[in-house]
Amino acid sequence: MNLYEFEGKTLFEKHGIMIPGGVTIKRGESIPNVFQDFRVPEVVVKAQVLSGKRGKNNAIRFCSKQEEVEAAVQDLFAMEVRGQYVAAVRIEEKLRIAEEHYLSITYDTNAKQPILVYSAEGGVDIEEVGEEKIVKKLLEIRNLKLEIDLDIPYIQKLWDVFLQEDCRLVEINPLIKTEAGEWYAADAKVAIDDDAFFRHSSRYIEKKKEKGVDVSGVSNWEELEARTMLGRPPTEREIDVQDIDKGENYYRGTAGKYIEMDGDIATLFIGGGASIANMDAMERVGLKPANYTEYSGNPPREKVYELTKIVISKPGLRGLWIAGVVSNFTNVKETFMGTADALAEVMPEYPIVVRRDGPFGAEGKEYFMNFAKEKGLNVVWYGKETSMSETAKVLAEKVNGK
Amino acid sequence: MSILINENTKVLIQGITGKEGQKAAGAMLDYGTNVVGGVRPGKGGEKVLGKPVFNTVAEALEAIPDITTTTIYVPPFAAKGAITEAIDAGITQINTIVERIPIKDAAYCLAAAKERGATIIGPSSLGYINPGVGRIGVVGGPKAQADEIYTPGSIGIISRSGGMTNEVSWQIRKAGLGQSAAVHVGGDLLMGTTYADLLRLFEKDDQTKAVVVFGEHGGSYEFEVVEMIESGEYTKPLIIFVGGKFANTLPEGMNIGHAGAIVEKGKGAAEKEAALRGVGALVAGDYEELASLVKPFA
Repeated sequence: MNLYEFEGKTLFEKHGIMIPGGVTIKRGESIPNVFQDFRVPEVVVKAQVLSGKRGKNNAIRFCSKQEEVEAAVQDLFAMEVRGQYVAAVRIEEKLRIAEEHYLSITYDTNAKQPILVYSAEGGVDIEEVGEEKIVKKLLEIRNLKLEIDLDIPYIQKLWDVFLQEDCRLVEINPLIKTEAGEWYAADAKVAIDDDAFFRHSSRYIEKKKEKGVDVSGVSNWEELEARTMLGRPPTEREIDVQDIDKGENYYRGTAGKYIEMDGDIATLFIGGGASIANMDAMERVGLKPANYTEYSGNPPREKVYELTKIVISKPGLRGLWIAGVVSNFTNVKETFMGTADALAEVMPEYPIVVRRDGPFGAEGKEYFMNFAKEKGLNVVWYGKETSMSETAKVLAEKVNGK
Repeated sequence: MSILINENTKVLIQGITGKEGQKAAGAMLDYGTNVVGGVRPGKGGEKVLGKPVFNTVAEALEAIPDITTTTIYVPPFAAKGAITEAIDAGITQINTIVERIPIKDAAYCLAAAKERGATIIGPSSLGYINPGVGRIGVVGGPKAQADEIYTPGSIGIISRSGGMTNEVSWQIRKAGLGQSAAVHVGGDLLMGTTYADLLRLFEKDDQTKAVVVFGEHGGSYEFEVVEMIESGEYTKPLIIFVGGKFANTLPEGMNIGHAGAIVEKGKGAAEKEAALRGVGALVAGDYEELASLVKPFA
């Protein structure tokens, strides 16, 4: 999950990286008198979005009067930044800049270890800086204390953030040296690893505290608001779906994935790879997905029920495509019982095309088709004799009335 | 000849007493894999399907010294401990079936494995199957289904997706062909065993005449393959499908599909396909086409 600048900065500050004084304003909140509060002649007003390149897209404004700040905030909330929804605005004191540097740590997937990237020429996209001016160094993840012969400000503290906060990426650009010689993270780009959420929960933190473990460097991710990168606030369905994989058995089958899209064909895909291939297949036959959804890893009936319920709750649907591979170990019958439970509540009239096979495939088909017949639902089921993409064509013909 | 496993490979299951561990033990034994025992701290002395349970990997190795391969069936929060225990005990092939291991833990294990010369397959790998020889994990499902999908043959299969490992293998079989090995490398950001690592093994394997890959957008592992073909390190026919073309309209940094499938500039499905096509790999328009494209080489 990508963090907003203000969230990233909170992490930085907690680990001893200085950030400019400022305030974050959510939509609808009133704007404080920043010049009075900060006692500075100029402030920076920045849109809070989930991707970069704000400077080039007019999403960062400099203001020296309160009226200008108010106008800028209003303006930023009214715009989109490279298709991204502006969730908040951050107003900060403008620093007196002497130097702008670049510093980041992320994973090098080829080397399979973290990599530090530093340049004394920051403030622009790192891609625009000449290779000869960039320092890259692979880091040993087993060392809590960095062993590195480079004199780079905040390097150990940023490593602490990266490790303790389970990040995929931490980036400070620009890393600013002020005229007074102090170093500040003027921006923060942070991506956290969703799979590490179990050690960033209230329950985990409480447990550790009880045992007397110092958890001051561990943030509680439950406090982070739901978000999407699709240029709008997350929908109710996207928020609701996140509850499915919560709780002690969160890793027993994953079913909490739902991304709302503009189309009218509901999708319920089974398996990560199948879901990707099937989204491509829909494009080829001209069907527009109403959502991206995938479950995998043999989830229990209840999880599939909850997920199906969310998928078919969207208004204006014209069809439902349920497609998965010849499963290795997911129980086809149990998972389709969950889907049937949800369909029974909504009783959709649009065509439903299923492609699924695997353990208990025959039993699953029998159960589901009997259910469909009894309820009068418009369902066709294909097993492994027909491939997934072929059934996309079948659905396209059905919804187009051919 | 076969890659990764042979008839004599002795296999351990860490987490053998759990629900998934037991299921895997049954599936592997059914297929003829030489599962020699399992590990579960505190349950040493018990048996699962007639196989001994040990408290630690070290104890298992003391009793059965030539165990080379282990499979990890523990919850994600216990995975780092289990994997490093296997590495420390001297196991050389660690199949990490567990899903949703934090990247930091995976990276830690990969660093430790590298130091000791151990191979990690996964994380989030369902395992692999060498038809007629043995399987790790539950690839193929129940024996009857596995026999319907898999038969010894000349096609190597590598997939980022567990389900698609089976689905692609089925399309290959439906086309009248057999497989030399089908390996699920896992869909995570960090892959212990990459496409490139496996292509090196398939290159040397006499049984394998061509390799089929199911790839995805995100990450740069497909580009390693391009380099291998360019440098002549891999010379057999390669047929690939890269999923996620629809994702080119999504914002950069967004994750859709597997954990490693992150939308990144220059690393989309189309860019990967173009680079692969440039070095002579055959690119399939849909995954079903993999089978027809590979058929002439079988």
